[in-house]
Amino acid sequence: MKRPLALFAAAALMLGQSAPAFAYLKFGVPVRGQQVTLKWAQTPVRYFVSNTGVPGVTATDLQNAVGRAFATWTAVPTASITYQLAGITSASPGSDDGASVLGFRSRPDLDRVLAQTSFLIDSSTGSLIESDIFFNSTFPWTVAAAGEPGRYDLESIALHEIGHFSGLGHSALGETELISTGGRRVLSAEAVMFPIAYPSGSIAARTLKADDIAGISDIYPDGDFSTADGSLSGSVTKDGQPLFGAHVVAFNPATGSMVASFTLNAQGQFSIGGLSPGPYVVRVEPIDDAEVDSFFDSSRNVDIDFRVTFFDRVVVVPKGGDSGSIAVTVVRK
Amino acid sequence: MRRPASVVALVVSAAMLHAWPASAQTASPASRFELGVGGLWMGTASFGSKVATETTGSGAVTPLFNTSSELASAFGVEGRIGVRVFRSLVAEAEASYLKPQLRIATSGDTESAAPVTATETVQQFTVGGSALWYLPGSRSHIAPFFMAGVGYLRQLHEQGTLVAAGQYYQFGGGADLLLVDSRRFHTQGVGARVDVRALIRSKGIAFDGGSTTSPAVGVSAFVRF
Repeated sequence: MKRPLALFAAAALMLGQSAPAFAYLKFGVPVRGQQVTLKWAQTPVRYFVSNTGVPGVTATDLQNAVGRAFATWTAVPTASITYQLAGITSASPGSDDGASVLGFRSRPDLDRVLAQTSFLIDSSTGSLIESDIFFNSTFPWTVAAAGEPGRYDLESIALHEIGHFSGLGHSALGETELISTGGRRVLSAEAVMFPIAYPSGSIAARTLKADDIAGISDIYPDGDFSTADGSLSGSVTKDGQPLFGAHVVAFNPATGSMVASFTLNAQGQFSIGGLSPGPYVVRVEPIDDAEVDSFFDSSRNVDIDFRVTFFDRVVVVPKGGDSGSIAVTVVRK
Repeated sequence: MRRPASVVALVVSAAMLHAWPASAQTASPASRFELGVGGLWMGTASFGSKVATETTGSGAVTPLFNTSSELASAFGVEGRIGVRVFRSLVAEAEASYLKPQLRIATSGDTESAAPVTATETVQQFTVGGSALWYLPGSRSHIAPFFMAGVGYLRQLHEQGTLVAAGQYYQFGGGADLLLVDSRRFHTQGVGARVDVRALIRSKGIAFDGGSTTSPAVGVSAFVRF
């Protein structure tokens, strides 16, 4: 039986600018009028690594670096997804052959794109069939353990792209500033899935953060994740009207961790899963540290004209349940 | 050594002026059982501060905003039943109920969010026991004592969605004041107690998983049987 397929060019890790994505945290795909979470139906997910290197990175270096990045995601104790190296290939990433391939491609036309992930999806189920990752060989790369000035850390970038490969969208947990030559420079981030990369030479994004861990665990829950952790939900309004696209951060004052989501529908509702039970502080902010289309389809009308606001109640996340809906009101800048 | 007769006579006459019967001349419980109920004030317990941080490209962290948390002071009720074990030693079973506020104050937001103090009301239950040692030689209607106790702590977050359980330990002292010595209605006296304690809570709502200490003051009325 020939399966109906749909090809999506997906999220890219940007150098100061970003490309279209579909949703926050988890990619959603429409299946028979319903949004379903994009995910692999079976694990381990098999992948191939290209046999082509670039200056400073051999094919073996590439294989080892992506292997370490896959291992980092596999090591998340609350997520069940695993990966398996299927072999080395001469194929390039980006061909619709049913095999997931990671490798270098020269794309000088994408002068702000360090890497990109694409998907082949079974549109009848929303399951992933294939996902390819290319690293743009137009940029200088390194696999040096401590990083290398002027070169981008392959393991860090692979870690981000494998997040997409697994079904995660972008996180907005980060701060940036505009630079005179165009685009943005990252000042700080608290998620590997932040859409803009750290400057070259940095290896800070080799470690997953709480937001990344909550996201992958939400898609592929393992063990008692669903019963041991809880969620926080509510809605955001401005001038009495629901607000779409507000970034909502749950801060745990006991651990210092932050996990975030967005208001994702016309009612201004949000839900943040994968939270340890306990009291939380809720902070709502506009998406003003990356291009809005890093997170949402550009056709969506995202409101960023409001002040950063803390909710004035402690919100308690129960074990295996939801906090109960909270209502946050924000005001114009 | 025998005391001079004049000194003995003076002591006896002074006791008669107070008109306290011999059995009530001490507030330390000569009776077997005591039932008490009253109010309990618990002081603020700080949970310290925590900074929300993000990671820079060099791997260093930079603050996004600060939080400072505490379980605020609160008034509640307390009940107890005491049993005299020895002349100067009383064992008590006790229970208390308070509704303190959990307060988390935010400040220093790098994106200029207005600081707030987010709150929720916590229900706190304790059940435990204490030993009271009355100072020997107390022969007035006021009987000072030292106390030490331990018990079970149960704190319930707002809307009853999450329980935090732990233990409490308390150390302190106070005094019983015997107000009425009456053997009517099967009682042996009525009085009041004031005590001051250091209340140490282990686990329960404790952000670092450790213990917190706060002062507590109890004021209660008691009946002895």
